[in-house]
Amino acid sequence: MGFARTAGEALTRRREASVAVVAIGLMIYFQLSAPVFLTHDNLVNIAQAAAPTAIVAVGIVLLLVSGEIDLSVGMVFALAPFLMRYAVDFYGVPAIPAILLAFVLAAGIGFVNGFISIRLRVPSFVTTLGTFYFLQGVVLTTSHAYPAEIPEPARGDIQRWLGAGDWAELTWCLIIVGVFHVVLTRTRWGLHTISVGGNLLGATEAGIKATRIKIGNFMITSVLGAFAGIMEAFRVNTIDPNLGGGTGVTFTAISAAVIGGTALAGGSGTVIGAFLGAVVLAELQNGFNLIGISANPFFLVLGTAILVSMVANQYLSRLRRAGRT
Amino acid sequence: MGKSHPKVTEAVDTLDLNPVTRRRLLTGTGMFSASLAATALLGACSDKQQSAAGEIGNFPKTPKWKFVFVNHVTTNPFFTPTQYGAEDACKLLGVGYQWTGSKDSIVAEMVNATNTAITGKADGLALAVVDKSAFKAPVDQALDAGIPVVSYNADGARDDPGTNRLAYIGQGLYESGYELGRRALEKVTGGDVVGFIATPGQLNIQPRIDGATQAIKDSGKPINFTAVATNADITKGLSIIDAYVQGHPNVAGMLAVDAGSTQSIGQVVEKYKMRDKGLKVAGGFDLVPETLAAIKGGSLDYTIDQQPYLQGFLPVLALYFYKISGGLLFPAETNTGLLFVTKDGVEPYQTTKTRYEGSDTAKKLVDRSGAIPHP
Repeated sequence: MGFARTAGEALTRRREASVAVVAIGLMIYFQLSAPVFLTHDNLVNIAQAAAPTAIVAVGIVLLLVSGEIDLSVGMVFALAPFLMRYAVDFYGVPAIPAILLAFVLAAGIGFVNGFISIRLRVPSFVTTLGTFYFLQGVVLTTSHAYPAEIPEPARGDIQRWLGAGDWAELTWCLIIVGVFHVVLTRTRWGLHTISVGGNLLGATEAGIKATRIKIGNFMITSVLGAFAGIMEAFRVNTIDPNLGGGTGVTFTAISAAVIGGTALAGGSGTVIGAFLGAVVLAELQNGFNLIGISANPFFLVLGTAILVSMVANQYLSRLRRAGRT
Repeated sequence: MGKSHPKVTEAVDTLDLNPVTRRRLLTGTGMFSASLAATALLGACSDKQQSAAGEIGNFPKTPKWKFVFVNHVTTNPFFTPTQYGAEDACKLLGVGYQWTGSKDSIVAEMVNATNTAITGKADGLALAVVDKSAFKAPVDQALDAGIPVVSYNADGARDDPGTNRLAYIGQGLYESGYELGRRALEKVTGGDVVGFIATPGQLNIQPRIDGATQAIKDSGKPINFTAVATNADITKGLSIIDAYVQGHPNVAGMLAVDAGSTQSIGQVVEKYKMRDKGLKVAGGFDLVPETLAAIKGGSLDYTIDQQPYLQGFLPVLALYFYKISGGLLFPAETNTGLLFVTKDGVEPYQTTKTRYEGSDTAKKLVDRSGAIPHP
């Protein structure tokens, strides 16, 4: 029982611990059933599947915590690599400034999302649904729904450092997770984000500029989406209008955030948890593929596994709360 | 913890698990055990766990090779017969296959699945190359690792297969589009002709529309050909085609290069009685029931069969021969056919429920009689 108590105490300290236990449990299970699971090459596979989702999920956490949501981020994800390509191929902008330009435009999209949601008081679910379709139209129209190649000036080192290298995506992802973990837990911006999501009226009366905080978080989310999208395009070596599958990446990122322990209702959340949530989803995807489950039963297994792991997660969280009293 | 139910032990024993997993599964507690049991039991539904094959016919005993098919629309009914084809070939040869990739044509997911197959040490890969550049590196990696790779159903662009795969097994996509257009030209001499394509740029269908465009251009007739994008979602595609027709009531020809758009053309032609207006020809691809009914009813003139069953069966054979001959029997470029199905010949497709068309799971002999049609 000594071990259980120590483990219980560890769980009380960190909110992310329960999803971490699930992630490690899955790792052990998959390693036992498919011994190549923990080889270098396969870890690269998992890292590459988890990282882009996790990066988008970081932004989603900030928004969920501040009481908003962004559905359009999946389309910013698909649009950003095209923006970069247009800047390079049509306007002769060098690769790095072109990428930065894509970030600026993404921030602009985030601003529009925030402005409409907060200033014009359209619920962000509806606002970003609107911008989702609008941006999808932009992607399909400007690309003629045709995939493009990575522009020549962006190839080589830039492509490798920003996505194509084995660990590039994971490295950037860890940096982003680290930075935003600090932002959310240690800075005024983070404190205000939590306050406006937890109690908007109280926060406003305490003098917090809720509009600024929320619009800022929309902008951060869009830029993170753009960054993840550009890295994915670099990794798969093609700029595809269907990159991320539109709603697909948004949905996975929201799932990762919620699995990681962020409340859908706002006011509480964890960036590290979202990262672990993305890792869990990537492990499930990769592991069952490795075991050799074909496409049709795959979703049956995946769905079951998500339910079972999350029931386990809840059970562990309850242990954590019980341990605290 | 408590003892396992004997039935559970029995079920677990049928799985090909290593001792540690088995013990954990049987003695584990709570959610962890439940999770293991659920996933392991479901996992047993896949084809992986079968006993190693003995000698088959004249072929020697081989390990239980696993060939991985990476597909762009894994759950699309078009590929149901393809999966039966792969399964039948595997049963025949005592090997196994896995059907994976993306459900929604997301290239990154296909690349992930391909990489997973390579690290999982698959014995062969069959890949639908729907993007010109994304699969080059994964295929090279597979070949470097000694894993033979063939492409099926889609093979990059017309001028660039996009990978260093050993061979392509599927329809000549550009050629089939060219034939689609040429056939239409038998009835159309001028006016507006439209070509619908669900996902422009996807290389399993884009070459077809390129081919059709070229055929019409080559004819020199005063035809105004436009390509119109529909949607991978068939309901949205139907609305788009419906809207097009309302805007162009006098269109002379309607073509489509994918199963969804083809069936939608049939429905729209029927709905607006286009045959009584200026429509001279309507045709497309594939044999979904709605399309067959439209051909029977005269809304569509023809559809092209690309024999998806063979696109699953033949890649397994090619990979098997490569493995069994130590690489001496090299996969051959294979055209799985270009067969026009018209009103005269549509009947057997509609009435026969067979595994070879994906309309039945049963393994049964399909009889035929009478002369074989020929020109």
